[in-house]
Amino acid sequence: MLDTILVVVEQREGKLNRVSWETITAGQTIAAATGWTLEAAVVGGSAAPFAAEVAAKKVAKVYAVESPKLEPYTPDAFTVALKQFLAAKQPKLVLMPHTYQVRDFAPKLATAMGRTVISDCIGFKHENGKLVFTRQMFQGKLAADVSFTSDAPWFATFQNGSFRGDKAEAGAGAAPIETVAVEIADGVIRNKPQEVFKEAKQAVDLTQAEIIVAVGRGIKEQKNIEIAKQLADALGGDLAASRPICDSGWLPMDRQIGSSGQTVAPKLYLALGISGAIQHIVGMKGSKTIIAVNKDSEAPIFEIADYAIVGNLFDIVPPLTEEVKKAKAGS
Amino acid sequence: MLIFRKPLEGIERPQMPADVVIVGGGPAGMACALRLAQLIDAHNAAHPDSQLSKENIYVLEKAREVGQHCLSGALLDPRSMNELLPGFEKEAPLDAKVTKEAVYFFTEKSKFKFPITPPFLRDHGNYVISLNKFVKWMGSKVEETGITIFTGFAGSELLFDGDRVTGVRTDDKGVDKEGHQKSNFEPGYDLQAKVVILAEGPRGSLTKQLITKFDLAKNANPQTYGVGVKELWEVPAGRIAAGEVIYTMGWPLTTKEYGGAWIYGSPGSGPKDNIVSLGFVTGLDYADPRLDPQRVLQEFKKHPFVAKLLEGGKMIRYGAKSMPYGGWWAIPPVAGNGWMILGDSAGFLNSARLKGIHLAIKSGMLAAETAFEALTKDDSSAATLGAFQKKVESSWIKEELWKVRNLHQGFEHGMFAGMFHTGLQMITGGRGLRNRYRAKAGYEHMRKLTDLPADGGPEALLLGPAKGDGKLTFDKLTDLYHSGTKHEEDQPAHLVIHDTNICNTKCVKEFGSPCQNFCPANVYEMVEDASQPNGKHISLNPSNCVHCKTCDIADPYQIITWVPPEGGGGPNYDGM
Repeated sequence: MLDTILVVVEQREGKLNRVSWETITAGQTIAAATGWTLEAAVVGGSAAPFAAEVAAKKVAKVYAVESPKLEPYTPDAFTVALKQFLAAKQPKLVLMPHTYQVRDFAPKLATAMGRTVISDCIGFKHENGKLVFTRQMFQGKLAADVSFTSDAPWFATFQNGSFRGDKAEAGAGAAPIETVAVEIADGVIRNKPQEVFKEAKQAVDLTQAEIIVAVGRGIKEQKNIEIAKQLADALGGDLAASRPICDSGWLPMDRQIGSSGQTVAPKLYLALGISGAIQHIVGMKGSKTIIAVNKDSEAPIFEIADYAIVGNLFDIVPPLTEEVKKAKAGS
Repeated sequence: MLIFRKPLEGIERPQMPADVVIVGGGPAGMACALRLAQLIDAHNAAHPDSQLSKENIYVLEKAREVGQHCLSGALLDPRSMNELLPGFEKEAPLDAKVTKEAVYFFTEKSKFKFPITPPFLRDHGNYVISLNKFVKWMGSKVEETGITIFTGFAGSELLFDGDRVTGVRTDDKGVDKEGHQKSNFEPGYDLQAKVVILAEGPRGSLTKQLITKFDLAKNANPQTYGVGVKELWEVPAGRIAAGEVIYTMGWPLTTKEYGGAWIYGSPGSGPKDNIVSLGFVTGLDYADPRLDPQRVLQEFKKHPFVAKLLEGGKMIRYGAKSMPYGGWWAIPPVAGNGWMILGDSAGFLNSARLKGIHLAIKSGMLAAETAFEALTKDDSSAATLGAFQKKVESSWIKEELWKVRNLHQGFEHGMFAGMFHTGLQMITGGRGLRNRYRAKAGYEHMRKLTDLPADGGPEALLLGPAKGDGKLTFDKLTDLYHSGTKHEEDQPAHLVIHDTNICNTKCVKEFGSPCQNFCPANVYEMVEDASQPNGKHISLNPSNCVHCKTCDIADPYQIITWVPPEGGGGPNYDGM
């Protein structure tokens, strides 16, 4: 029997992950170098439509590995399904894109089959009949050549961008598609998928803010931040802070202004209880108008402030908020 | 709640075999790599049938770029460079040959010039350099040889097998403040090395681990240190000649503290400018916990002589570095099973001449010769590496350090006693009253607030934070800004305090939290906290750190351990 390369493409939420085409290209390139046969597989509740898409490429065959239990994705179900399928097919090499989903199930799958994964590869070499994969080490400062010493199937994943997806060759005709139904016994799936987590978008883009009310250590306690927030709300501005405030976790890091945070240049910058160390000033000195409130008349913030209020922010800010509200209501 | 950095446990780490791992890419580490490459090249040329590879020799450097954590005065005594790379002057970045030198004793308003420059402070034949630029150049030479420098990787701990050092673990990357893995987590590598060479600079963290584990310092004097706080200035031409070297003693220190200043002139980038490197070294064995070495430098600049020199100029860089003063008797064994220690990590510094770069380079060369023997014999046990110890002892490193072996100890009881001992030692070949003067660790000299005058007495002007006028003098945060220091903010604190209760309940009362004062980077802060018995609790700003290790050295309870933060973080000492 000829040695086979099997590319497991990834589908998610009704879409084929584009990075799968890169893995197809990788498979085609390795097949060309080794003379092995290239096949592909799609795993899912109903994988056939995706299989048809893949079949347009130059591959010998496409498998749609299906079971109703494969939807939604769980690492348990994918592992059981692929293990069954691979045990029957006995490919030499299994290639996958190095996606979050693959990172989730591939180690489990390989371990379940008593094999290892060469993960996150950026290329391969075929030298004297030996297939060698290249991985980065030390944050890309070294490239290591890694090869398999174990029995097939071999598992390898490729890093995004290692191959060109648009270079995946189309086939002369559509490749045959075989649907493989896999058995997933009850009780195998222990994972309970929740809603897909999407990284929260940065809640606030301070660089676009026209009005910023920033608090420093002078605010004393976390609960007092509310005073500044009310002023910011009244002005229609955004709340920001100097480093100690974010460092204490009183406000999220994305609201930090200064050399280790954001650099902003709003029309109006209100600095409440901020002494004005150079590390803060470099992040806001481009503001059009700066109003500073500080107890210490020698605070360096006053050197760049257009309006300096020497006094206790707890005496000054609440009445200021009231005045702003009144003025806004009147206009 | 403070969470401190430590290598994550229970994770699988990539293993990588290595022949030699050099921890630290400063002058010692780079010289070691260069010399090793020379020896291997010569061997390979002579033995076509038994080739040695340089591929598995690695230098770990925690800075993002080579040289970015290197700070010194600096004057280079070219002796060892002439041995390492004869003719190096033609291509190395040297700012100026020393043309003029003077030593002054400062009083508050005046100064006295020493009629003759003491022999150990004669600098003709030496060069004014920027250690940052010089080490960058050395790094490029190392890379030409084919040896890999891993910049942005710190040695986080040593690996052992019984009494043998078997390798180095690099830092874990992508760990958040709470010690959890972030999405970009990358575990540290285990570099399984035949030979581990520690060239971490003063108070190296792996060196400390090694010395503690094997109790290596038991027969040595405790190492004593100074901290050098440095500013680089651009001044109008004509203030100081390129190659002019000035040392000062005395004011603003009193006769009780050990220390002094340097002022070196270099040509500037433009025709109208000169660069002045100036700094103040304060011995970390002062009595008053309120003393602030950054403040000392600010006060020093107010002296009419210095103020005039800097007038109209601009401060362009700031930094700080500790230096080992202890001399010959404070050097621990420097070689053992699988390991060697170089440069400032070992304590190869001549405190009389305020010079260590040439000794660091020489120690790197000697260690390279020993490592080369280990590779050819395929034995890196103490039996082979012990040769390094002997090489040091029969080299001019010992010859030079032996003459000043008792110098700093002579100053333990102040300047006048120090001068007496120094004079005596100079005419007795370094011996003085006895062959070996003992020493106390510097932090043991620190006294409790109750034993000190409330107003500070004669030291008053050295105590507490500098205010700064923004022109000649600067507060600490402004100075710090000019160090260019930067770290990943979301990581555990790399200043490991073993018991913060001591900070919050004991130290604050007894010593008034000296960490706030001795740290030249405002890392340590006592913030108000009504729930604490003394109304304050310790808070850390680890991303301010300039990696000088002063906290690890000077803390009176010895509960702070400096460990490397995530690789790549730290100061940016361009031109320092």
